[in-house]
Amino acid sequence: MNKTLAARVQPQVKTKRRGKLSKYLYLLPAAALIIGVIGYPVARALVLSLFDYNPLGGGKTFVGFGNYAAILSDRVFRKAMGNSAFWTFGCVFLQVVFGLLGAVLLNQNFKGRGLVRGLTLIPWATPSVLAAMMWMWILDGNYGVLNDLLKKAGLIAQPVPWISQTGTAMPSLMLIDLWQGIPYFAVMLLAALQTVPGDLLEAAKLDGAGPWKAFWKVVFPLIVPTLMITTILRIVWTASYMDLMMVVTQGGPAYSTLTIPMDAYYTAYSDLKFGEATAMAGVQAILLLIVVVIYLRLMSRQGALDHGK
Amino acid sequence: MANKRIPAFRIALWALLALWLLFALGPYVWMLLTSLKTSAELFTWPVRYLPAKWTVQAYRDLVGTTDFIRFMRNSVIVAGSTMIFTLLLAVPAGFTLSRHAYRGKSVILSLLVASQFFPSILLVLALFPIMRSMGLTQNLFGLVIVYTAFVTPFTIWLIKGFFDNIPTDVDEAAKIDGCSEIRMIWHVLLPVVVPGIVAAAAYIVIYSWNEFLFAVTFASSAETNTVPVGLKTFIGDYVTRWDLLTAGGVTAAIPILVFFLIIQRRLISGLTSGAVKS
Amino acid sequence: MKGKAIAKPIIGKGRALLALLIIASLLAACGAKSESKEGSSAQPSESGNKESAAKTVVNYWYWLDDASNNTMEELIQKFNQSHPDIQVVGRMIPFSDYQQTLINSYSTNALPDAARFKDWWIGQFTENKLLEPLDEYTKNWEYRGDIDDVFWNTGRTADPNSPVYMMPHQYITFYLYYRKDLFEQANLQPPKTFDEFLNAAKKLTDPSKQRYGFAYRGGSGGQDQWYAFMLAGGARMVDDQGNIVINNEKAVEVNNWYLDLFRKYKVAPPTAISDSYAQLMAGFQAGTTAMMAHHIGSYETLHKALGDKLGVVPMPQADPAHPATMGTMTGNVMFSSSKNKEATWTFLSWLSGPEATDILSKSTNGQLPVLKSLTSKPEYQSRNEGWKVALESEKFAHVWPPLKGVGTIAGHTWKDNSDLALFNKIDSKQMLDEIAKALQEK
Repeated sequence: MNKTLAARVQPQVKTKRRGKLSKYLYLLPAAALIIGVIGYPVARALVLSLFDYNPLGGGKTFVGFGNYAAILSDRVFRKAMGNSAFWTFGCVFLQVVFGLLGAVLLNQNFKGRGLVRGLTLIPWATPSVLAAMMWMWILDGNYGVLNDLLKKAGLIAQPVPWISQTGTAMPSLMLIDLWQGIPYFAVMLLAALQTVPGDLLEAAKLDGAGPWKAFWKVVFPLIVPTLMITTILRIVWTASYMDLMMVVTQGGPAYSTLTIPMDAYYTAYSDLKFGEATAMAGVQAILLLIVVVIYLRLMSRQGALDHGK
Repeated sequence: MANKRIPAFRIALWALLALWLLFALGPYVWMLLTSLKTSAELFTWPVRYLPAKWTVQAYRDLVGTTDFIRFMRNSVIVAGSTMIFTLLLAVPAGFTLSRHAYRGKSVILSLLVASQFFPSILLVLALFPIMRSMGLTQNLFGLVIVYTAFVTPFTIWLIKGFFDNIPTDVDEAAKIDGCSEIRMIWHVLLPVVVPGIVAAAAYIVIYSWNEFLFAVTFASSAETNTVPVGLKTFIGDYVTRWDLLTAGGVTAAIPILVFFLIIQRRLISGLTSGAVKS
Repeated sequence: MKGKAIAKPIIGKGRALLALLIIASLLAACGAKSESKEGSSAQPSESGNKESAAKTVVNYWYWLDDASNNTMEELIQKFNQSHPDIQVVGRMIPFSDYQQTLINSYSTNALPDAARFKDWWIGQFTENKLLEPLDEYTKNWEYRGDIDDVFWNTGRTADPNSPVYMMPHQYITFYLYYRKDLFEQANLQPPKTFDEFLNAAKKLTDPSKQRYGFAYRGGSGGQDQWYAFMLAGGARMVDDQGNIVINNEKAVEVNNWYLDLFRKYKVAPPTAISDSYAQLMAGFQAGTTAMMAHHIGSYETLHKALGDKLGVVPMPQADPAHPATMGTMTGNVMFSSSKNKEATWTFLSWLSGPEATDILSKSTNGQLPVLKSLTSKPEYQSRNEGWKVALESEKFAHVWPPLKGVGTIAGHTWKDNSDLALFNKIDSKQMLDEIAKALQEK
């Protein structure tokens, strides 16, 4: 944007001083809110994990790392950890792949693009209780639409009890999460695609690059920063997302869909052991921290952390 | 040769879009059909898709006997307010983290991600007394505060990423031209960052729209219920009102669709690499 | 203003300002006193309410089985109108989040004065005296004698000297639904014994037609049905001395028989392990299952859907001379943290009285009243087949023992172990051992 060069006294010093102070002002409101609303409860929860605490009274007893020891030696919790890993990485991987494809599709020019963009977003904007109930019926082992269609297509002989078998219950939930999650990636990556300069792409095509090569060599590197941040956050959110399990399988059958947050929920509200429950969340936080640290290292090596500078 | 390529590409595009729409909207179509069935037809075997007898009784009941419309209004208010407050907090924060130097910046950035580690179910207990003492329970404003806190970290990261995409030469050029920092953000950078803001807006609105736990713990009452809480009340201990659930689900999708139709218009490429030159 | 700066690029200058104004004003409107619907009494209890300064406010929480039916709200309004010095403020919470919300509220000193309650939770909440003992209040209650001791007992703990903590209100007993049409087709009589039950189930099972004899509830909430069958089979959770006997020989045998319905005899649909209330209802209505164990809470819905095809009989018994089935009580409790106990008692006693109970029981949110004066009325006795059998079954119904561990079992322990047993990963004895362990938790 061109501004006519006005003969102004440029108070360099003034800007610098104001710059130093005002940069904190930019950050302060957000920081204050986050520390107050999230930081404090998280700190309290972490402290609580060192105690034995029945939320319905009876006081607190300090047990140090006793809770952590107890849960890590619990067969059920260890199974939950494995389930959490499978669930988290499985869901996010599939969503990244399909979300990227979706973003590319929505970036093309076609009639009715606006409407299509709006419609494909709807699964992401569906409250999870509704998504869970809907899909529970679509996947139903007796009246489910999916079974009916598969049977009519000749792919199966008898309806499959998708959520009643240990082998298919978790993949069924992953399907529902995939349905919900593709638009998230599609929207984020679509936004990132808008920042790819048009003439850069033209230049690549003129150089003789086919659309596939042009995409990977030119476009993809530019959207990697956004891709990385949306992915890492999706991993973190998915780890704690348990609404689907709550409504559809309650962690079953036979613990096959029990993830760490579900185990924590039952431990807190059914077993009334809040200390152990927060210890479970603590373990998850540590594991996620490791993942995030590795991830951020990768990102900074990609130059994705300080791209603009 | 170019001519032959285009039709095949177009066909592939339409085919993929059709498949995607089928997957994305299939369940909603099924929900819509279910909401137009009489209760006797709900569970039949073999599976019947189209209602034998079409009826809009479910929608009449939804509007007439429940407060669902009010719930939708509440959700719109909460989502809209959260969007505005979050952007007010996150855009400056994203800007400063992109453009300014901080000691321990990577720690700050990591803490933003770390804020999302804990399942909210375990944070509710600590948050509740704070909310109560500040009079933030049983009203929508309290929800907005909590939601804003939870969505701000990701929004900051997202916006920062989009700011990062703009080379600092642009900043320099603007400064040389006499822009103060704020005017530079407003006139020069923001228009380019718009797709990021649109994506953030979508994320914020959807988070607020879907959020259930804080809504049911802090603000569940006939006046302040949001859509997810309202939908859950249709699932009783002994009775599940499928008609209300499906009708509610279909109805609640409409404001979201409208919202996104409006903002997606800004998801267009506005940047040519020539911006720096001028 | 920064706000405008951000909104501008998206929706334009003027509209951004307008949007901000609209949202701000709507927020303000929400925070203030809300408009009432037909003069409803349900106002947010946090905001200062000048006109009721003279009234005592009683906060009452409840869940609804049928959200579209406003009987509870109407009852609250009725009470407020006839008791001008008390203002009851009701709050409806979805059932699936009810217990969790109570727990969260307790730990932040935000419990209401009174709440609707289930007998399963009494153990957990009385451990640290969260519930107000009601004996002093009920001592002189005019309808005290109208409720049988067996119902009063559902509100006590296992301690022999325990006072009553919960006002009994609505009761359910388990019985057996069966499809009259399917039974007729197969020339079968509704079962009275376990053997007849299994026999009928086998005869009515035909996987090729997607038809199964029994709607086995292996999913969430299935512990009630399981307990009903255990009782009917002669097993008990605790004996007369209060010892936990759920894992004794008899119980292991009955449990094994029950598990075998799915594992060995396969008279249940393959989805049984995850089937919960919704699936049971769907299956029974569609004719995929021929028998279903449940209670009066589902009668209206099923009767509407099936009409004459719906049959009801008492739970089949292993030993018909000594029948037993499961009952569970929904009642009302007063929290010891309440600051307005007298007013709260006035409300609870009114709610449990014949006038209010009559209205509630006849609505879709109602179940069996516990007042003899009501249940002995012909309109209740002969109301319909379901009511008849349900009331009959009261005579031999047992409730869950008032132990702390019951909450855990209902929460997840039963389902976890039932799943493993159904998949043959553990056997009947191991499953019951786990349940016994949970019950023994102090």
